Amino acid sequence: MNTYPKDLIRDLIDGRLPWPTTKQVMSDFKDAGRFETYIEILQERVSWQERILLPLGEHLYIVQKGKARIVKCDCGHEFGPYTENWKLSASIFVRDTDEKLEEIYPGARKCDPDWMEIREYCCPGCQTQLETEAVVPGYPIVFDFVPDLEAFYRDWLKKPLPSN
Amino acid sequence: MKATTAKKIRRIAPGRDGIGPGGSTLLEALKRNRQLFEQTGHYHGVKSLKLKSDNYLRYESLHARLRSSVVNAREMAKKISASPGVREVGESVVALYTPEGDSIALSTGIMVHVHTLSRFIQWMIEHDYETDPGIAPGDVFANNDPFISDVHPPDLMNVAPIFHDGELIAWVGTVAHELEIGGVMGGANQSTTAERFGQGLTVSAEKVAVNDVIRRDFLVRAQMNLRTPIYYILDEKAMVAACIEVREKVLEIVAEHGVDYYKQAIRSIIEEGRRAHLERMRLITVPGKYRSAAFSGHVFEGKVGASGLSTNCIVHIPLEMTIDRDAVLTIDYEGAGSKMWNPYNCPPSAMDGGFFVTLTQFVDFDGKVNDGCWYATKMILPPGSWANPMDEATCTSSAWGSLMPGFGCLQRMISRSFFARGFREEVFLGQVNTPIMEGGGISQYGGRFGAQNLECAAEGSGARGIMDGIDCGYVGWNPESDMGNVEVWEMAIPILYLGRRIWRDSPGAGKYRAGATFSSLLLIHKTPVYNLVSTIHSDKTFDNQGMCGGYPGPTARFQYVSRASNIRELIANRQPLPHVEGDPKSPDLQRLVKGDFETVDGVFLERPLRDGDLVQFFYNTGGGYGDPIERDPAAVQVDLDKGIQSLDIARRVYGVVANYNSASKLHGVDEDATRQAREQCRRDRAARAIPVKEWLAGQRERLLKQDFVREVKEMYNDVFGISPRWGREFRDFWNLPDDFTFKS
Repeated sequence: MNTYPKDLIRDLIDGRLPWPTTKQVMSDFKDAGRFETYIEILQERVSWQERILLPLGEHLYIVQKGKARIVKCDCGHEFGPYTENWKLSASIFVRDTDEKLEEIYPGARKCDPDWMEIREYCCPGCQTQLETEAVVPGYPIVFDFVPDLEAFYRDWLKKPLPSN
Repeated sequence: MKATTAKKIRRIAPGRDGIGPGGSTLLEALKRNRQLFEQTGHYHGVKSLKLKSDNYLRYESLHARLRSSVVNAREMAKKISASPGVREVGESVVALYTPEGDSIALSTGIMVHVHTLSRFIQWMIEHDYETDPGIAPGDVFANNDPFISDVHPPDLMNVAPIFHDGELIAWVGTVAHELEIGGVMGGANQSTTAERFGQGLTVSAEKVAVNDVIRRDFLVRAQMNLRTPIYYILDEKAMVAACIEVREKVLEIVAEHGVDYYKQAIRSIIEEGRRAHLERMRLITVPGKYRSAAFSGHVFEGKVGASGLSTNCIVHIPLEMTIDRDAVLTIDYEGAGSKMWNPYNCPPSAMDGGFFVTLTQFVDFDGKVNDGCWYATKMILPPGSWANPMDEATCTSSAWGSLMPGFGCLQRMISRSFFARGFREEVFLGQVNTPIMEGGGISQYGGRFGAQNLECAAEGSGARGIMDGIDCGYVGWNPESDMGNVEVWEMAIPILYLGRRIWRDSPGAGKYRAGATFSSLLLIHKTPVYNLVSTIHSDKTFDNQGMCGGYPGPTARFQYVSRASNIRELIANRQPLPHVEGDPKSPDLQRLVKGDFETVDGVFLERPLRDGDLVQFFYNTGGGYGDPIERDPAAVQVDLDKGIQSLDIARRVYGVVANYNSASKLHGVDEDATRQAREQCRRDRAARAIPVKEWLAGQRERLLKQDFVREVKEMYNDVFGISPRWGREFRDFWNLPDDFTFKS
């Protein structure tokens, strides 16, 4: 198994590592301690104190807040329990007309708003665009990922997980 | 190459009733192999990798040599083949299998077929081919029947047994993708067939060679039933040659290592593949439940030549992925729409293949790539759905049209797991569909022709977690993607390329954008009739998604056509010619050329084209990753200089304010103005966005008023019918009555 210095992992996840080194990391056997280094780097970056349990997406984390495990944006906005779809607590803008779609997809390339709409989910705290969905109108909001934190920490990482 | 001559082929040894391991029949061996796995949880009951630990070098060298035999055979076959599909684009694969049909080692190329070949071998075993028509040394069996095992008819399979001392010790399998298969429309994938009949020349598990010699009657059938038989016939010879080459190499290896060591090693290699898969899943993923969905729209109504049975529709492609605490990956297509009267259904073997080709690119990509990973995964295909039609008359000619968006969902979900685990370098939004030019008619040489233009094999990929996608260089169904030289396509099809350039503003936008794709602008050349048809793309919908705030790629396909044009005159007078799209509101093909210009929305099913007509064909890309206004302005500047992005989109989507310096012919970014534009963008978002819960209330009203177009309502009603579970989830989500359906 490989190990990499924290700075290398930092540059790697930020897309700043030179390509030859990045290619080497991609082609080589994976570093077993990656998750711990990753969390360390991310924890140093956020301004709040809660412990990061699992990154969900760019800017989004599952954190331990008291007894609860919630979804939190790096700007500090909190979305509620991780077992509920954080998108339900986000703000939304829907491109469901030719005019709104034309902004992103000029000319003949846009989808037909009667057949498909583009939903943009933003953080109410910092207005970062956290996810999009390209779905048929009326489609239930997609719940992208519900991690099995217990199995991950106890069975795979062999590490304790604060109680929920 | 030392050919095994007919005389030297031994009869089956007397006193043995089966040709399988230890004198068993192949059917007995297949059942035993399955039981061993069910009872022990290990492939073929192999509990310890003792062979490897006892003598690592001997074990690894055996595997390396088996693997190189199939890789070499594929490279050799490419030289025998005449078709640009195999020669230029590498649309083939060669693999080695156990007597029971599990892959041991495989070449690069169209990996999807590693598992469809497994199924083909197992189909023959289960249908007792050992008794009738018999399996003997020197036999070769061919198939392209999707419901025996295949993705779709253009993929012609050849499988040959390898005997040692009267016992079948392996199979070698190979596939070549045919550019012309003799369907209703010229080329390979069909657009207008609603049933299996019309998909093209079907070979249903037939013995096509005896004593290493292809049966003449089989070649006559190909000669008479195909518009361009030379591709098919030479591909067939290339595949038989590859089978012979691998057979000879395997027998050399067996002679060197001893047959007993060989027989144990091939089992151990597969068990090792299974364990390596589980180990890697534990190392780079996170257990839990993942969901994604894709939608592929199809417009048939009013299209020239479309089957009356094919109505407009939206294919619902939902996918749930579960990684359990034992690291077993299960994918479930519950909610997939029902089978359709159009060519976009998938046989189960195609779904196997899609799963396998995704696993080999995302999880199982080193050394021991074989069926071992298959034994550590599960797939659920709802009976009666487009993914499991349970009706062998169903048309699957353009199966990739639903298959690729389906496994694009899997690529995104596995990427979400890599992201959570910290392996962002492995995040890859992969790929969507590949719009393909099919068709036929009269060639530039005056004869009849049919040929698929497979230049779509090098599109823009989806973005990655730490960098942009691959520009004009990726396709999910063949990781060795290559678009082939234009000159080769100009020989095969009556066209001249006026342009094959990056399509500006094509990538799905994001902090990391998708790879750019290209468009080809073609002059129809020296033919009175070229019946061009497009397929394997979605109409009116994007069949991919972005991730973490990125946008989907623009894959609602359209093409430009200009008929009866003055292009010859422009050429003669050395006037400016169209090469690229130009301004999408006033395309160059319309602006520079006098002709009947038309934007063809959706599938290209039109009146045939002829000499002097022009068509501009657009290809696909994938989704972007991350919020576009977080993209490095310097990266946007590079894209502006390369013609990948326009100043307009840079400003509107990326919030980058730049200007063009006509002296240096380069762009410059105004950093202050960019910072202010991006701050304003956040303010605009805050002003126009509403809380999701408030939006949901309005949407529920719309549902109750049933304010949707017919195709949307029909999609939902169809899914309610085939998946009560999905229907319940839909009604629960929207808090609708239990009996809610849409009135058509």
